[in-house]
Amino acid sequence: MRFALTSALLLLSSPLMADTADGDALLALSWDEIVAEARGGEVNFFLWGGADNINQYISETIGGILADEYGITLNRVGLTDTADAVNIVLSEKEAGVNDAGAVDMIWINGVNFRTMAQGGLAWCGYPDLLPNNALVNWDNPAIANDFGLPVAGCEIPWSGAQFAFAHNSATLTEPPRDIAALLDWVRDNPGQFTYPAAPDFNGAAFVRHVFYHVAGGPDRLLGAFDQAVFDEVATETWALLNDLEPYLWREGATYPASITQLQTMFANGEVALSFEYNPSQFGAGVEAGLFPASVRSYGLTDGTLANTNYTLIPFNSPNKAAALVLQNVLLSGDAQYAKAQPEVWGATPAIEVARLPQALQDAFATLPSHPSVVSQAELGMAALPELQAEWIAAIEAGWIEHVGQN
Amino acid sequence: MKRWPLYLAMLPALIVLGPLFYGGLAAGLGRSLGYAPLIGQTELSGAAWRAVLTAPEVRSSAMLTFYIAAISTILATVLGVGAALLMRHRFAGARAARLLFQINLTVPHLVLGTGILYLFSQSGLFARLAAQMHLISVPADFPALIWDPAALGIILAYVVKEVPFIGLVAMANLQAIGPDYEQAARSLGARPWQAARYVLLPAIRPGIISSAAIVFAFTFGAYEIPALLGASHPLALPVLAWQRFNAPDLAARPEAMALALLIAALSGLVVWVVLRAGRAQRRLS
Repeated sequence: MRFALTSALLLLSSPLMADTADGDALLALSWDEIVAEARGGEVNFFLWGGADNINQYISETIGGILADEYGITLNRVGLTDTADAVNIVLSEKEAGVNDAGAVDMIWINGVNFRTMAQGGLAWCGYPDLLPNNALVNWDNPAIANDFGLPVAGCEIPWSGAQFAFAHNSATLTEPPRDIAALLDWVRDNPGQFTYPAAPDFNGAAFVRHVFYHVAGGPDRLLGAFDQAVFDEVATETWALLNDLEPYLWREGATYPASITQLQTMFANGEVALSFEYNPSQFGAGVEAGLFPASVRSYGLTDGTLANTNYTLIPFNSPNKAAALVLQNVLLSGDAQYAKAQPEVWGATPAIEVARLPQALQDAFATLPSHPSVVSQAELGMAALPELQAEWIAAIEAGWIEHVGQN
Repeated sequence: MKRWPLYLAMLPALIVLGPLFYGGLAAGLGRSLGYAPLIGQTELSGAAWRAVLTAPEVRSSAMLTFYIAAISTILATVLGVGAALLMRHRFAGARAARLLFQINLTVPHLVLGTGILYLFSQSGLFARLAAQMHLISVPADFPALIWDPAALGIILAYVVKEVPFIGLVAMANLQAIGPDYEQAARSLGARPWQAARYVLLPAIRPGIISSAAIVFAFTFGAYEIPALLGASHPLALPVLAWQRFNAPDLAARPEAMALALLIAALSGLVVWVVLRAGRAQRRLS
């Protein structure tokens, strides 16, 4: 009897049966042991699901690697808003679900990362476990800080992104190339422009470009939130955007609810200009037949916003070992290269390409470019830093109150 | 053998309803009063309720939501009852007509909303057809039926979806009454419309009022159709509550909970008033 009990206990505590919800226990293991823990398990990856090419990359390319090399099942859970996943973890914490959460990994940055940090919802302190973490340049402040908030070992960078505008070169040969020219162009071409209402991610980012323009550049806005500067810049920005409303689509009486709606209107020629934080989407849209081949994306001479996005493992993920393996695969040179190919995704790598083997470096150097996607080199010549989350939240709330509801 | 006491038979339903429904309601009330131990709030406060009840945007959202629910319910009830009265007759293709009428019940609201988007938006199918037929010069000149301040697209979606529901209830009621009363009225000299107006309608009234109340409560509290087809301002109350719930600032969540409870209270109030008025009138007649 005693023997049976002991062997049952032994079986329960053997690595195969170990509960990988216990992050502290994982931190004490070697990478090979973590991979052994993860083998045969599954991982639930929650991420924005609004682009077919990205979904395909996750489900097929990454899911294929996990299944073939590690026997791990990748469940991609598509979201329209990353805050949905944050809310799941938050509600679980409130309900006392500390080791059996539904979410194993989230694609995240900015205000949502701040919420996770504010609520103590992220698992932290593990990046050194990942062999491919050596490819990440943590000395780069744009990587070590997520919208001004230190990452502090709670996230792994995945891609870089920079905002770009787009026009149809067949109908509009010379688009406005800075915010001042854009505002003039809108007044000269009534009904041809609009932007998604905040809190849409891309719509709020467009509003920040106008905010920077009114502030005379980002310099006064960087650093901690400053109510006096905010009030001064915001008053002028809301007045400017309200004065613009008669020249917007439907005279600004309503705004598109999402970036998807704006892209549909752009594809249909209802509006002449569009934009997106992920300009590779314009190439993917052309390939998918959504946009005409004459669509071109472009940057602004006074700069467009740039950020880094990350993956995060919630504190209560029950499959932390498998999530670590997934993060390591996402960081690998091969996966980052596949993601950088324009027909796959066209996303900027978050790793230092110079730290890769020579063959991969050469592959990155000779990546083909899509004619509809502005080159990273051109876009990167004028990049604007993102603000700290308090600024972004205040600008969003201010726009909704003073412009959206006006 | 003694029969099981009634409350024992109801126990399974109560076990589900109790913790999930009333427990959820109580938890929501707690959150709306600012009880959030996770971010260190354990003191109760009425701040969220004050903010919700005094915000002008909540007032305009409540008015829009009431308008959408009232117009949709009235239109769906009139059309649904009318269709049921027509379909009680025998005519060629009656079975097919009934099937086509009811098949809509199985379509999810989200799917219907997307369909309406494809058909009626300013870049939709009808806009393109109208432009092709030179009724308008470009598709964008099509009248704004979607994302419009009058919420026409939302009302259209609800009417299309709820007419079969009301019609089905009315048809079932008519079937239960049978043809006798109507025939008696006709044999006493009533014209067809008089038999319908003074005999059939009063008989099916209670069922119609109940199903109209269900439609009102649903359209008042549903999120997906106004989220898909509504203008960016004012937002329908459920969309506003969802936006607050998803706000990155955790402090905004009590307001989302207060809004959700406000939706339940307002629609409950309207349904109560309507049902009471219906009962009072029945006692009078």
